[in-house]
Amino acid sequence: MSQLREGARAEAAVPAPAVQPWWRRLAPWGLLALGVVAMLGLQSQIYTGQERTVSAIFMFIALAQGWNLIGGFTGYASFGQVAFFGIGGYTTAVAMVHWQASFWLSLAVSGVVAAIFGGVIGLPLLRLKGHYFAIATLGVAEGMREVVTNLPRLTGGGAGITIPTVGTKATTTYLGNDGFYWLFLGLAALALAISTLVSRNKFGFALRAINQDEDAAGALGINTTRAKVLAFALSGFVCGLVGAAYAFQQAVIYPARLFDVDITVLMVVMVVIGGAGTVVGPLVGAVALQFLSEYLRQNFTDAHIFILGLIIIVGVVLLPQGFVNYVVEARRTGDWSLLSNVRRYRL
Amino acid sequence: MTEFLQATVYGVLQGGLLALVAVGFSLVWGVMNVVNLSHGAFVILGAYVGWMMHDRFGLDPLLGMLVAASVLFVIGYAVQRFLVNLVINGPIFITLLLTFGLSLIIIQAMNVGFTANYRSIHTGYASNSIALGEVHIPLGRLVAFAIAVVVTLLLVALVTRTRTGISILATGMDRGAARLMGIRARHVYALTFGIAAAMAAIAGTMVGTVGTFNPAAAGSYTLLSFVIAVLGGLGNMYGALVGGIVIGLVEAWAGLYLPGTWMNAIAFLVLILVLIARPSGLLGRAFYASRVEV
Amino acid sequence: MNSRSSALVATLAAATLVVAGCGSKGSGGGGGDSDQVVVGASMSLTGSLAREGQLTKEGYQLCQQKVNAQGGIDVGGTKKKLAIKYQDDTSEPDTAAQLVDQFNDKGIQLILSSYGSANTEAQAAVIERNGQVMVDSAGADDSIFQQGYKRTFAVLSPASEYAASIVKAIDELAKPRPKTIAFLSADDGFSKTGAQGGMAAARKAGFSVIPAEYFPEGSTDVSSSLTQVKGQQPDVIIGTVHLEEGVAIIKQAHELGVSPQGFGETVAPPTPDFATTLGKQAEGVLGSSQWTDTTKGSDKFFGDAKQYAADIQKAYGHAPDYHDAEASAACLALVMAIEKAGSTQPDAVRDALAKLDTTSFFGRIKFNSKGQNVYKPMSVIQIQHGKVVTVWPTASAEAKMVWPGNKS
Repeated sequence: MSQLREGARAEAAVPAPAVQPWWRRLAPWGLLALGVVAMLGLQSQIYTGQERTVSAIFMFIALAQGWNLIGGFTGYASFGQVAFFGIGGYTTAVAMVHWQASFWLSLAVSGVVAAIFGGVIGLPLLRLKGHYFAIATLGVAEGMREVVTNLPRLTGGGAGITIPTVGTKATTTYLGNDGFYWLFLGLAALALAISTLVSRNKFGFALRAINQDEDAAGALGINTTRAKVLAFALSGFVCGLVGAAYAFQQAVIYPARLFDVDITVLMVVMVVIGGAGTVVGPLVGAVALQFLSEYLRQNFTDAHIFILGLIIIVGVVLLPQGFVNYVVEARRTGDWSLLSNVRRYRL
Repeated sequence: MTEFLQATVYGVLQGGLLALVAVGFSLVWGVMNVVNLSHGAFVILGAYVGWMMHDRFGLDPLLGMLVAASVLFVIGYAVQRFLVNLVINGPIFITLLLTFGLSLIIIQAMNVGFTANYRSIHTGYASNSIALGEVHIPLGRLVAFAIAVVVTLLLVALVTRTRTGISILATGMDRGAARLMGIRARHVYALTFGIAAAMAAIAGTMVGTVGTFNPAAAGSYTLLSFVIAVLGGLGNMYGALVGGIVIGLVEAWAGLYLPGTWMNAIAFLVLILVLIARPSGLLGRAFYASRVEV
Repeated sequence: MNSRSSALVATLAAATLVVAGCGSKGSGGGGGDSDQVVVGASMSLTGSLAREGQLTKEGYQLCQQKVNAQGGIDVGGTKKKLAIKYQDDTSEPDTAAQLVDQFNDKGIQLILSSYGSANTEAQAAVIERNGQVMVDSAGADDSIFQQGYKRTFAVLSPASEYAASIVKAIDELAKPRPKTIAFLSADDGFSKTGAQGGMAAARKAGFSVIPAEYFPEGSTDVSSSLTQVKGQQPDVIIGTVHLEEGVAIIKQAHELGVSPQGFGETVAPPTPDFATTLGKQAEGVLGSSQWTDTTKGSDKFFGDAKQYAADIQKAYGHAPDYHDAEASAACLALVMAIEKAGSTQPDAVRDALAKLDTTSFFGRIKFNSKGQNVYKPMSVIQIQHGKVVTVWPTASAEAKMVWPGNKS
């Protein structure tokens, strides 16, 4: 956890003046808009299957941002974040299959359901600290998978559930690779926007305070329980939306994948590599890791996992505080040496 | 009634095997605050060593597991000394990531080196059972259970009776103070990791003797260790044994009385309830300073 | 401003990476104009299905080798080499589907399926949307064929036949005739469909059926299901399972003293690992197989089933597994359809596949309107003296079924 505090401290070290010049307040929004436009431009340059690959990158940007809200800003390492993803996905599938709801309605409902679920389990679980919170959330995610598996009438059980995408049973026309590109781009942008808002307002500072010292934060008059639960629900909302979109994109979904612990691990890896507790870190981490694993898979069919593992190890040893935090600190101190990075956590 | 007794016996024995898998994981976490995501990969690697000893040299797994333990001890020691120690002072996430990367490498290496074929260590006796009336006690699992108990007791003896063990405990409690007392933390940490890897190898050999394994099974053993270690409570050497038996029993009973595959859902429910009621696990202690106790 | 400027750097870097990495349009190749016929295959080379994925890859590779040994595929008079491009889908359906899309980008429209029903089902949906064509070698769940897909053709029998064929064999050959059959099943779609098919067949044949006990897919502890079943004293236990669960049933039944007259299992027994893993305990276990080396029929690339078995042994050093055979058969069906169409255009190949009717080392291959192989029977095998022996249908049996089968 201390690394997360490290990150928060670095962020806090940048003074946040009460009145910022207008261009500084608007700069992130301008960048976000620019990024979205650039990605729309990119779309016209790539094949339809590449759109799908890039959509997966957007998906992980959104998921990583979602995890960062609770794991990065607040310092509560949720190891069951995939539960929200799965709940969102299954809410959409069940709504579209059994209740003939349109996808857009289901999408919205999924986000809300995931957020409520976050709030409900957050109340008891967020009393736990550190590893205990991590393992309890992991238990929730694994347990949810089993629950979904054991309700075959509703969810199709282990055999999976198919969302109709063609014919009369289809409630919403399948979006196709173009449509999903826009959808996942939109979700990534939304997640970035939420993250930016949180990082710059009072709520975000309350979360960082909790991360650094929860008791002190409480003493300062922050309602820590409310802030934590809210952050958890918000991160659930983001991941639930992404799960819903993923379910529709896949059309056939299985509990094993929708509650796959690997997806949680990927979120954590991306945030930590990029830089926890920052807005840009999860973005960088998600893009870099997705891109890298895709590149390796295409070019090293047999050894790609091996190489990915090596790169993660080297990355962790050389940049333990995450890329963005490293850059921020190095600019402040003028020390760009990776070796002093290694020295910091060495025994 | 017979069914209940049978399920109970089997659950306890299965629990012993699970405990054996988790005990090293729990030790590393308790002493070094490292969640070792490559633990499952060590278990499987140990199983392969035990399997090779049996397959190539006809060594009984009860002896083969000692070879496996020695090999994995060396690997574990080296991994901690030259890799994990580089980031040990970092937050838990860092070691988590590092061991995740390590597990990817080990699993893929096993995939290439041993192929993904399912393996099993044959013995004439492991699948036999002792019949007590209607209740059967499988011999292989009984042996695994006994080994789990012996390994746990040996571990306790090690950390309470030997200099090395006490230095491990001391380093776990307060590394700064331990170093001031002249304990070489680097060496002690590497030793701890090596011991944990050796115990993983013993567990792996037993897994291979009573069941089957291939590289893809590694992830599920890591997850299981995670659950058992926390359920039992960190820092208590008996924690893994208790956690393992609880999980084994819950799964056996739930499997017997509930339809479908609700048993896993129940196991996780128990875990969550225990955590909410007793955040430090069934046997764990809440204070960091006394995190490691015996 | 630090984080702001790094944001800019990051965004730009990200954009460059994406653009550079994914390449620009026009980089694709491998259409029909070269001297090769390029076929895409997403394979489970890592992850939970790595074992079966490897066998499937062997089947595809042997096919490529055999076809090219005869100069290649005759496409409208010119011989073109077969080139199968492999990608690893890490055993995840979403990746398998994504890879099909990526093949499409590269102009590769003829696809050989990944391993397993979940992967194949995800791929079939994409194939249909993109107008590609896929021959399915290992996706057996009936649900794949109930979606109305027109571009996926499966050489193998559907999941519902797996356990049903064992029931039929027992009905025909087991003396003394058992009375009750209990079913154990993993909880994935393929296994459940198999259990339901088996139970239906058993009821039809007049056995009394103990309904299926389910356990989690991939579990290696099925003791509680066995304990439950033991109390009801079935004469036969049939498991609809994959390899690791199948091994667990036999091992733990032994441990728990569950000894019916015989065991039957889908998928697991014909794989070489089954007998080597279980040793003597494997004796007498019945299994259903998509293919055995006594299958009748031959084709110009592989010869007959015996020849195929010898070739697999020579190339990969193990006895042939039906996973090898079904993969080779899928590849063969695609090759034959290309020759018949005289073209590699997906629409032409699709139509040729729909009309295909040929004999092969895999038996007769002809697809119905759903894309299922209509003439494909399942065989039932038994482990006898550590070897996999065909016992049913009797016409192609190598040995008599040993019954009761629990001689070990």
